[in-house]
Amino acid sequence: MKTHVNVAAAAVAAAGLLAAAGCSSSSSSSPSGSGGSVVKLSVLTGFTGPDGPSYQALVSQFNASHPNIKVTMDIQPWDAIGQKLPSEWATGQGPDLATPNFDPGVIFTYIKTNSVLPLDSAVGAGDTQINSSAFPSSVTKAFTVDGHLYAVPANLASVALYYNKTMFTAAGITDAPKTSDEFVADVKKLTLGGANPTQYGISLADHQTIQMWPILQWMNGGDIVGADGCATVNSAASVQALSTWAGLVQSDHVSPVGQTGADADTLFSAKKAAMELNGPWAADGFRKAGIDLGIAPVPVGSAGPVTVASTVPMMVAKNTKHKAEALEFLSWWTGKTAQASFSKQSGFPPARTDVTVSDPNTAVFAQALPNARLYLAGLPSSSQIDSDVYTPMLGQLTRGADAQKSADAAAKAINALTGCKS
Amino acid sequence: MTTELTTDVASLPAGTPSWVLPVLRSARSTARVLAWVVLAIAALATVVPFLWMLGVAFRTPADLYADPSRIWPDHWTFAGFHAVFTQLPFLRLAVNSVVFAGGTTVLLLLIDSLCAYALARLRFRGQNLVFWTILLTLMVPFQVMLIPLFLTVFHLGWLNTFQGLIVPRSVSALGIFMLRQFFIKIPRELDEAAKMDGAGPLRIYWQIILPLARPALASLFVIQFMALWNDFLWPLVITSDTDMRTLPSALTLFSSTSGVDHAALMAGAAISLAPLAIAFLLAQRFFTEGIAATGIK
Amino acid sequence: MKRLNPAYLFVAPAFLLAAVFILWPIVQSGWMSLHDWTIGEDSHKWLGFGNYTELFGDSRFWNALKVTLIYAVFVVAGQVAIGLALAQWLRRTTWYTMLLRSAFFFPTIASLAVTGIIWKFLLDPQVGLVDGWLGKAGISAQAWLQDTHLALPALIVVGIWKNFGFSMIVLLAGVQGVRKELLEAATLDGAGAIARFRHVTLPALRPAILFTVVIGTVNALQLFDLTYVMTDGGPLFHTESIVMYLYQRGFVDFRLGYASAIAWVLFLIIIAVSVVQLRMLRYRDDD
Repeated sequence: MKTHVNVAAAAVAAAGLLAAAGCSSSSSSSPSGSGGSVVKLSVLTGFTGPDGPSYQALVSQFNASHPNIKVTMDIQPWDAIGQKLPSEWATGQGPDLATPNFDPGVIFTYIKTNSVLPLDSAVGAGDTQINSSAFPSSVTKAFTVDGHLYAVPANLASVALYYNKTMFTAAGITDAPKTSDEFVADVKKLTLGGANPTQYGISLADHQTIQMWPILQWMNGGDIVGADGCATVNSAASVQALSTWAGLVQSDHVSPVGQTGADADTLFSAKKAAMELNGPWAADGFRKAGIDLGIAPVPVGSAGPVTVASTVPMMVAKNTKHKAEALEFLSWWTGKTAQASFSKQSGFPPARTDVTVSDPNTAVFAQALPNARLYLAGLPSSSQIDSDVYTPMLGQLTRGADAQKSADAAAKAINALTGCKS
Repeated sequence: MTTELTTDVASLPAGTPSWVLPVLRSARSTARVLAWVVLAIAALATVVPFLWMLGVAFRTPADLYADPSRIWPDHWTFAGFHAVFTQLPFLRLAVNSVVFAGGTTVLLLLIDSLCAYALARLRFRGQNLVFWTILLTLMVPFQVMLIPLFLTVFHLGWLNTFQGLIVPRSVSALGIFMLRQFFIKIPRELDEAAKMDGAGPLRIYWQIILPLARPALASLFVIQFMALWNDFLWPLVITSDTDMRTLPSALTLFSSTSGVDHAALMAGAAISLAPLAIAFLLAQRFFTEGIAATGIK
Repeated sequence: MKRLNPAYLFVAPAFLLAAVFILWPIVQSGWMSLHDWTIGEDSHKWLGFGNYTELFGDSRFWNALKVTLIYAVFVVAGQVAIGLALAQWLRRTTWYTMLLRSAFFFPTIASLAVTGIIWKFLLDPQVGLVDGWLGKAGISAQAWLQDTHLALPALIVVGIWKNFGFSMIVLLAGVQGVRKELLEAATLDGAGAIARFRHVTLPALRPAILFTVVIGTVNALQLFDLTYVMTDGGPLFHTESIVMYLYQRGFVDFRLGYASAIAWVLFLIIIAVSVVQLRMLRYRDDD
């Protein structure tokens, strides 16, 4: 009967497939051969989205200039990496290099499980070495644990103020706000439509985003966690900033509530918001959406110029069979040539302070770097603080909770996580 | 379709005036037409999200943001599809997906139907144990089995191989239960007749039960194939070689916290959906044969 | 010499695969739940039931449990009720019923990730289709996924949308299998359409209903992908399901032992619920 034949044929096919496929395993790196054979390196990164091609281009450049090393970059979403990398590295499998997460705080976990190599042996001032002194000091500090450097910046970015020039002109504002007071005033002026705005003054996001709210606190001299690991989110300066902006969102409806970074981008791209705090990656998309785009430094508050920096750590697997080549790759990646080329292609500022940037759009981001701070830098519990405490606090504030009370509760929770005894 | 409501004279209470019946009849016709209209709208509403997705695949970002709630593109573009085909080793991914989803499903149909047959027809000690064991396998979220499973496959030496991809997924409790329900319904007289001809359980299974189970097998094929085709995490965990990646993992390439290429994302989703839609439409024939036609005498 | 019951050969492949690739990992995760387990660490601290006692006092877990149960109850009820109504209505096979059935089944084909992405965009208050069309009907836009009161209901609707076609198809097979003689006999006895449905069709459908309710519940209790993509457990944990919480603790905080404990508690809950359902739907008396 027909089914009989079909099922039998299928079963035979399946069996044949399995037999044939039995020999199709391939390892991710060839046996380390003697000089002359090509060394294969695998890198796992999370650079999905429109950035991806820029990183791939960098990898191709490396391969072209290093004929004895062939690097393959695998790009996967961050959460997928988080699910498979620990087990892979623990069983001696996995890529030779990886960016485990966009959050620099993740390095602590991998150091604790002894899965990554310290990079000190490759650090130095030479061209084929990792010039860690050329990295912004906050970055080097974030990647140094117990006196050893464990990661290099795979990228570096800061946040600037994007604004819609058409909307500004329509509201009679000639320039982007330069001070904190101008910022607040402009945001109110650009919100049109009352309780259900047809246009928002600013597009703020509070989760799944490059963090924007810390900037608002820092502008006023506030912070989230101090250098000693004790919470400062409920300091007077912090609470003042938080309640000001929460009030703007709640009463003046200057921004929608509860947006993710992607939501915030969409709002700005759809020409429904006049401003957005975002990184260099967004510029291209905004232009493609047809916005007359302006990019300005973040307005300056009482604490002086400040913005948030973001950097992604790239680390080397402890079990890599090609330690020398992996370190060579990292040295090249963070070298002057590569960073200049990457910056030109992607619009990111270079991850080095000694490379000049000519493109005026990128320059805004590069110039902000000296005053840029990492969000929750150097804290092993940073991801927990972010998802369990800080982000929910923002969610409550923007929905009407009392700023002092929420900040106090958050401070208590943060201290419990960091082990601060105050 | 005949109306659910009877318009028999006999069903009306005695003493009803004679004009009532024609009025009722036309009211019921209107109700019937209305019902069909509602159904048609509901069907459209069910499908609209996919139409929207298809529309986005052909739209430029400017067009999309100008009026995101419109389904029809104002300016058509192939940039999304172009991005998908140039940034991905598309053919390779599609082949891997077919091998993984197809191979696993075929193997799964075999293994599941064998087990379902035994559970439906044969008596053996430990029957309940087997039943509950199979049922239990449905009840644990994949996220928590992920790492132990990875370690098991690693210890078998099956990481990064096709057998590692396929074999652990070749049994499905859902399939076993669906088929068992179906097999139970098949009349035992057919089995008896075959037994009297000297057939053992294997022959009964192969020559009588399986052919009659075509609708159930086809339904199960479509459902399992779809689930495996769309499975993102499993192939990602088992393979580290980018050559062995399947389609879903590649489609995640187009979105990130730093931006979404909507056209490419939706183009990729549409491409990934297309074979499933085709498989579904082809299998529709089997869905409609129905149990009624296959042996209940 | 006693012959081996051939049944064992039939179930052997399935049983073996299930035991090695599903049950054994479940047992291993149970073992992990008794430790403070981070992948890659050389040794793992034994906690006994420490993770479980911590879980008992974890308010975020109880919130996740509440969210998951509400979701499961409404989605299963919705998908089975709608699926049943459609199966009954569309039981004849004509070109238009086939067309409608295909349309209703279509959402089942899409992956959960794609479904989540599409619906997230559709429900966006500023740029989404739903609020755009509601606006044309004069209803003001709602921030479906950002409002703490609307997010879970919106998620439930999407869950039903995704699954009702599958229920319909399963129940369709049952409806089509109802023996014509019984329906004819009932009509002759003077039973109206609704009475026929209640006394003939519904009892005959019990296995199919049981199947779709149990499978639907088991799936719904493991809610993850939809909420991960659409709301990330927000706003303010109002859509955080148990598996989402498990994921957070296991793969973001790297506390795999604690996550395994959560998984085991969920496992036991699912077993309990399934046993109850099997009892209720199997041994209920006929009307």
